[in-house]
This record gives sequence, C-alpha cells and structure tokens, in this order.
Amino acid sequence: ACDDGEIVVKFAHVTNTDKHPKGIAASLLEKRVNEEMNGTMCLEVYPNSTLYNDNKVLEAMLQGDVQLAAPSLSKFEKFTKQFRLFDLPFMFKNIDAVDAFQGSEDGQAMLDSMQRRGLQGLGFWHNGMKQMSANKPLISPSDANGLKFRVQSSDVLVAQMEAIGGSPQKMAFSEVYGALQQGVVDGQENTWSNIYGKKFFEVQDGVTETNHGIIDYLVVTSVDWLDSLDPAVRDQFTTILNEVTETRNKEAFSVNEAAKASITEAGGKIVQLDADQRQAWVDTMRPVWDKFAGDVGQDKIDAAQAINAKH
Amino acid sequence: MSGSRSGSPGVIDQIEETVIAVLLGLMTAVTFANVIARFVFNSNILWALELTVFMFAWLVLLGASYAVKTHAHLGVDAIVNMLPTAGRRVLALITVGACLIFSLLMLKGAYDYWAVFADLPPTSGRWFPTGFDLKARSQSFYEVQDVPMVGMFSFLEDLINYGDRYEKLPKVVPYLILPLSMFLLVLRFAQAGIQVWKGEADRLVASHEVEDELDEARARATEGEN
Amino acid sequence: MDVILLFGMVIGLMLIGVPIAVSLGLSSTLFLLVYSDSSLASVAGTLFEAFEGHFTLLAIPFFILASTFMSTGGVAQRIIRFSIACVGHFQGGLAIAGVFACMMFAALSGSSPATVVAIGSIVIAAMRQAGYTKEFAAGVICNAGTLGILIPPSIVMVVYAASVDVSVGRMFLAGIIPGLLAGLMLMVTIYVIARIKNMPKGEWAGWGEVGSSFREAFWGLFLIVIIMVGIYGYPWYSTELGIYKEGAIFTPTEAAAVASVYAFFVATFVYRDMGPLAEKGDRPRRSVMQAPLALLSVWVHPDTKRALFDAGKLTVTLMFVIANALILKHVLTDEQVPQSIATAMLSAGFGPVMFLVVVNVILLIGGQFMEPSGLLVIVAPLVFPIAIELGIDPIHLGIIMVVNMEIGMITPPVGLNLFVTSGVAGMPMMSVVRAALPFLAVLFVFLIMVTYIPWLSTMIPNAVMGPEIITN
Ligand code: NA
Ligand code: NA
Repeated sequence: ACDDGEIVVKFAHVTNTDKHPKGIAASLLEKRVNEEMNGTMCLEVYPNSTLYNDNKVLEAMLQGDVQLAAPSLSKFEKFTKQFRLFDLPFMFKNIDAVDAFQGSEDGQAMLDSMQRRGLQGLGFWHNGMKQMSANKPLISPSDANGLKFRVQSSDVLVAQMEAIGGSPQKMAFSEVYGALQQGVVDGQENTWSNIYGKKFFEVQDGVTETNHGIIDYLVVTSVDWLDSLDPAVRDQFTTILNEVTETRNKEAFSVNEAAKASITEAGGKIVQLDADQRQAWVDTMRPVWDKFAGDVGQDKIDAAQAINAKH
Repeated sequence: MSGSRSGSPGVIDQIEETVIAVLLGLMTAVTFANVIARFVFNSNILWALELTVFMFAWLVLLGASYAVKTHAHLGVDAIVNMLPTAGRRVLALITVGACLIFSLLMLKGAYDYWAVFADLPPTSGRWFPTGFDLKARSQSFYEVQDVPMVGMFSFLEDLINYGDRYEKLPKVVPYLILPLSMFLLVLRFAQAGIQVWKGEADRLVASHEVEDELDEARARATEGEN
Repeated sequence: MDVILLFGMVIGLMLIGVPIAVSLGLSSTLFLLVYSDSSLASVAGTLFEAFEGHFTLLAIPFFILASTFMSTGGVAQRIIRFSIACVGHFQGGLAIAGVFACMMFAALSGSSPATVVAIGSIVIAAMRQAGYTKEFAAGVICNAGTLGILIPPSIVMVVYAASVDVSVGRMFLAGIIPGLLAGLMLMVTIYVIARIKNMPKGEWAGWGEVGSSFREAFWGLFLIVIIMVGIYGYPWYSTELGIYKEGAIFTPTEAAAVASVYAFFVATFVYRDMGPLAEKGDRPRRSVMQAPLALLSVWVHPDTKRALFDAGKLTVTLMFVIANALILKHVLTDEQVPQSIATAMLSAGFGPVMFLVVVNVILLIGGQFMEPSGLLVIVAPLVFPIAIELGIDPIHLGIIMVVNMEIGMITPPVGLNLFVTSGVAGMPMMSVVRAALPFLAVLFVFLIMVTYIPWLSTMIPNAVMGPEIITN
C-alpha cells in the first residue's frame, strides 16, 4: 500500500506479472519506482485485467482513473490511424528493425501524435514477431484458404486474413483455446510467448514461423496527469521508465526464443519456411498495404522500409 | 404479497414491453445469423458480437426502470414481511430514499461519462453538479471496435466530430443509453416513492426471479381444485 | 475496516428491502466517493462495461430465453411422463421420477427456481394424488430443483466463468459428473426412505409407454444434444479416417442462442403449445399445411412476444444485479482487497483444505442474503487468486461454488428454492424448510465429496479439453 503524500500511479495491464514480457516489464518498473522514488511516488500494478481490459483502459485513463497502461499498438488506431503501420503484414523484417524504427525520429514522433486527444506515449515495449498457426500445417498461403482465423478487432488484421483467403472471426479471448481445440475456429496468429503461454500449440497442428507481423505495446499516460507532475518528479519517473524499457526490450527477443524452444520441448510442431515459401506469403499479404497507405502515410511506410533494408 | 401492480397495460407499458421483447429477439437473431454465416457459408459477421453486446446493455439498462415500475427488482423482503403496516411504510420510504440517491448520483455520473463522447461539457462537482467543466477534453472522435458507421448517424460527423468522418460507429451512440436509462430510473423511483407515500405499495422488490410464473402456477392449481 | 463498513452497508440496505442491485451499487458508489479518487462518471461507466467487457455473460439471456420457450411449450409435462414411465414403478417411484425429471429439465434450463416451477407445479400435485404427503413432495422437488445450476447449461456457471475468465465450455463439462451424482444420491435416498416408510409405487406401464413417452419428449431433450454437440463436436466415421472427432460448431454463447431458436421452433411448430398453430378455444392444434400463414405470423404472434418479453424481463433483473455487483467488484479490486486477504490467509498458514472450508462457510452465509449470480461476482474474485496460489484447479473451485449456491438456495432464512417451492406447493416457508431438511443432509454430504474429490469435477473437462492451464 502507498504512504500518505505519495503520488499514486495505477498501472493496469492484462497479463500475468512474471512470465509475459509486458508483465515482467511492469513488475520491474513497479519495483524500481517504489524503491527509488519512495516517499514521492508509489506505483501499483493491477495485472490480469483485474481493473480494466485493454479496450477500456484508455477510456479510464482519459477519465483520470488510471495513470499508466500498455495496450497493444492496435488499440491506438482509434486515436490516430498512423498506428495501423504496426499491424501491416511484413512491414518489419525482424524485432531489431521494429526497434530501430521505434527509436527513429518517425517512431518517436508517434509517441506525441495523440497529445491533442489527451494521450502521451512514453515508450514502446516489445513482445515480438507474430507467427501463424492452424489445425493443419501452413506452408503455402493457399493452405490458409477457407480456414477460420481468430483475429483481434483491427481492420488491418481482418484485411490480412482475407488476403490469404481466410475467414476472420471474433470471439472472447477466454474461449479461444476451447474454440481452437474443438474446431469452432481453425487458426490464430500470435507471438511465441503468447502461443506458449496460452498453450495454443497444443491444439494446433503446427505453428509456422512466418514472422509476418508484430505485437508490441505502447506505454501510455494522460497528458493532463503528466503535466500535473512536478518537473523534477516527472524527469525521475520518465528516466526510470526509459531504463526499464531499454533493459526489457533487450530481453524480449530471448523471452520469445525461450518460448519457442519450450514449445518444441513440449512436443509442439514448428514449421520453418524456406525463402521462396516465405516470399509467397509476403506476395499474398502485401496488397493489404495499399489499402491502408493513406491512413498510415506513405512517408512512414518508406521510413520503415528504409530501416528494414539495413536489417 | 408484492406491491400494487398496474391494471390494464397502457401505451407506455406496451412500448416498454415491446422494446424489451424486440431487443432480445434481435440479439438472438444476430447471434444466430453469425453462426449460420460461419458454419454454412464459412463467412462471418464481424460486428455481430459487439452489436449484440450493445443491445444487451440497452436491454438491461432500459429494462431496469421498467422493473422498478413493475416491482420486479430482486430483493430480500423477509424482514419487511415481519413488520406491521406502519413499519413497512417507514422502511419503504427509507428504501425509496436510498434508491433515489443512487439513481440521482448515477444520472450525474452517466451524463458526465457520456458527455465527453458527445462533445458536450460534463458537469463539475464530485457529488452534485456545480456547473459545467468546460476544460474537459472532448472524446467525440472515439469509435467502437467493430460496428460500422451507418448513414443515419452521419449528421454526427459535422455536429460533434468537427467534420471528420467516422469509419465505425462513434461511442456516443451506444453510450447514450447511460444518461437515458438513469433518467428513466430516477423518474420511476420517484413514482414508486409517490405510490409508497399514498399507501398504494409497501415495497419495491420481488423476493425471487420467478414470481410471475409462480402466480400463474398458483392460479392453475386453484383452477384444478375447483 | 472500511471494507467491513462497505459490506455492512450492502447487507443493511438489502435487509430493509432495498433492491439487491441498488444496495450493491449505492454502497459501492458512496464508498468510492468518500475513500477514493474515482469519479461518478467512472462508476456509471462500469454499468456499461459490465456488458462491453464481459462477452461471455451474453449466454445468460439466451439460456433464459431457451428455457422460457421450453417451459411455455409444455416440455416439462412430456419429460415428466417419460421419467414416470422409466422409474415410476419403483417404491417411491413418483418421487424418484420427480428427481429424474428435474435432472432432465436442468439440462435444458440454466436456473434452479425455473426448474422447481416447471417440474414442481406438476409433480407435487401428482405426488399428493398418489398418496405422498405434501411435505415429502415439497422436500424432494425443492432439493432436486437445485440441480438446475449444476447440470449444464447453468447461468451461475456462466457468471463464474465471466468473473474469473475461465472457459464456459469447460465449466459446463465439469458439471456433468457432479450433477448426475447428486441426482443419483437423491434418488437412492428417496428409495431407501420409501422402503422404510412403505411409500406407494406406480405400475410398470411397459416398454411401449417408455418408447412413446420418449418420442413425445424427444424434441425437447434433443436440445441437450444440440448444445453439447455444438460446443464440443461429435464422433463420426469415414472410410478414410475411421472413427474421428468432427469439429464443434459454436462457442457456448452461440450455443445458447441456437438453443433458444431451436426451442422456439419446437414450441411453435413441433409441439404447437404456443403460437399461431396452438389450440385456441374450440379450434384444435393445426399443422403448418393447414395454416401456412403461420410461417409469417409467428414472428409477431403475441405468444412469441410474450416469451421474449418474459425472458427479457428476467434477464433485466438478474443482469442489473450482476452489473451493480461488478461495481462492488471494482471497488474491491481498486482497494486491492483480494491481495490483502490472500496475503493474510497465506501467512496464517492456511492450506488448501482449510481454505476450501472457509470458502464453503463464506458462501453458505452469503447465500442467505444474495441471489447466487450476484454473490458469485463478488466472492469469486476474492477467493480466486488464493485458490490459484494454493494450487486449486479453477474449474474445481467453480463447481464447489456452484454446489454451495445450491445449498444456499434451500437453507433458511433466505433460500430461492424455498420461496418458490412454498409457492408451488402452497405451503408455509417453515414447513418447506423442515421438509427439505433430510435431503439437505444429502446435499451436504455431496458438497463434502465435491470439495475433497477434485476428480469428480475435473475428469471430463480434462479428458475432453486437456488439463486446465493457469496462464494468468
Ligand atoms: Na442447467
Ligand atoms: Na439460504
């Protein structure tokens, strides 16, 4: 519990506290703020959607009921369509390219892009690259034809699934495992750590290492709250946050690699694509870019591709 | 046992009952249609789930005031039953007071919650509205997840969204039920208060969820014995 | 300390006759205004979030609607006829048949009081005519009716699943063995009592009656198949694959919607107990061929509207309680109450056994005041984190909670089934309480079994869906 006189910071997120990349990062931030800013600031983490889920948390933040959150990047499409960039398939070659883009001028500008709507981005937290799985092996994009894929609410992801001939489906997350297992839906896309954590590999016939997209998070706060802080306090807080971001983002890749190894160890099947097979997926999904280029801005896409070329 | 019930249903009752029936019917139809779309046509209605959830919220929040009117809200009347008439009246008046406080607080909260999505100023004040908070940020840009924008709401783009187009339904639409239902709730609790004051009712609650069915079963049983 | 004040206010308001929903909502709102920074706007927002953030709760209105069509459609009568044909010839047969009928109706309906009304209003009268005492009849039905929430589908299970984020499909599977076991225990108890007290036995009407009553009840009972096959798939055979499992068709929520559409068709077009084809005055039941316009008029028929409205109204009252209970849950989360309780219990050295005893006691006491779904919304988040910490299976915990709710329904002073049975049987509450007592003892034994034999709850879900994973 917090002491009297401390600035209480509520951080609501939706994962566990010790296994998920975001949960681990949040716990580390909590520990460091409460140690180093003891007496000034007090950070309380509310994990597992106990306080708010990702759809609600930004509303609650604008209401002033929560001060920190780290929803996945798709959730910010409501605030500015620029964020659709991160959902576009095969936009980034690997997590290093993602990291480089986010650290670039273009990426950093996105942190401030929602100020007029009351949100201030503080930093990008990685989860990792998305893979695709189904109840049959996915090698060529035509294997996905006619399959039902569970997707998150995002027009880009819907278009992506439609591009490979899949039928995008929506359902409550708690039902996804059962739905995959019982065959209500056929497949899904996620990062290694989520596929391992939610045991999706158990009920799928292989996970294809497509690296076709990313799941990352934006640590966000409200402009009004941040402005209300004493500058010295604000600087100390953002410095700690930046250090935590840097530390954890370096680890994110290995968290996912470990999850991938654990899947193999647990008997899950991982399908590797050779260069031609992967290119077929790229070619099938790339047209999705054209549809959303206007929303994202061609300059952003070009900047991302320029960075991609270096990785 | 329970408080007075209105006699022959009036126009307002008809409207309320029809709205409740139609909302539940539509919820079922949309969900069923989505199953058919997926299973038979291997397709989907992506917005079906969200639309159904919105109708669910509308059903319950609108229905809450109807349930006040028909004394259908669940409650415990064991103690009330043990009291003499005068005691019941006192408790019923206290009860109405509590309900009015609740619904008035909720009305302020619901308006404040909805207002920012409607590009209107929420009220200031923690407990009571003390004026308007003109500095509150408008959230009229905020759209729902899946339900697409429909033409009939396009007037909102100019009215509250500074001319920006909506791709999805703006949240101001589904959230409208909050202030609307809380206003009706205040109204119905006030009416219940008048009933209690006049001695036409001695409680606001039903002790269990099947009171009507039970009445019917009792009626059938009496018919059988005669 | 503040939290005790909060709970005191909730209970105090309830006892003086404030609607449960308002008691929960008002107490929580006042608490938040006094002790926290939360604004009224965010409290009101919770009322919408109750729906927007809990998709799984959608199953509730649909199961209620299915059950309404089934009750209006006279399915109960047909089920009772079938169960009398099956077990009516045993000593105490009509009572055993009553339990059996409750079990079957429970598999169509998600609620206990609904089960008591549907089955009780017919069976209790029939038992009295056959020479049973009113008390015995009431005691049997009052208890057997509680199976409504244990045998899937179950509204209470949906609420549990929604409030702790486990799969509804898994919870339903978990209820099968305990539901059958509880029914069996009640039937055996009746049989023993009947032998001792030499109660009446019916005539064996022959396999012909079993067959024809089954054909009559078939369309109603087929709903169970639709729900189970729809959610879990079915075994099938092909020359290529041999025997294999065909995939499922829908999620539990969708299953509920499909069930209500099916129940609507059975009630209006197969049984024709309601709607445009039903008997009306002197006019007998008609077939669709005789009245093809019915295909159009059924959608706006007063009976259809009535059923939708009745189910809608029940949905409103249950869900308004749940929505307000979610405000209280928000308060508890905000104040980090579950964490403090968990820490206190764990540091007091409570093991799983002691913990489950405490849960039982909390629920049995809470069940005295609260409608079961509302109680679950509040208690589940409090005990769930501790259970996980202690290594208790979340599905097992859910079944324990459901059985506690069942017992709460038949224990004085306040018990839903007691009220309903007293109405159905035309008996004073206290007589029903006494009548229910011997069977209550059976349910207590059953509670102990369910609590300490996790296998009963986890066997089927683990076999069908694999072991529960705790990823949170
Ligand atoms: Na049931
Ligand atoms: Na009780």
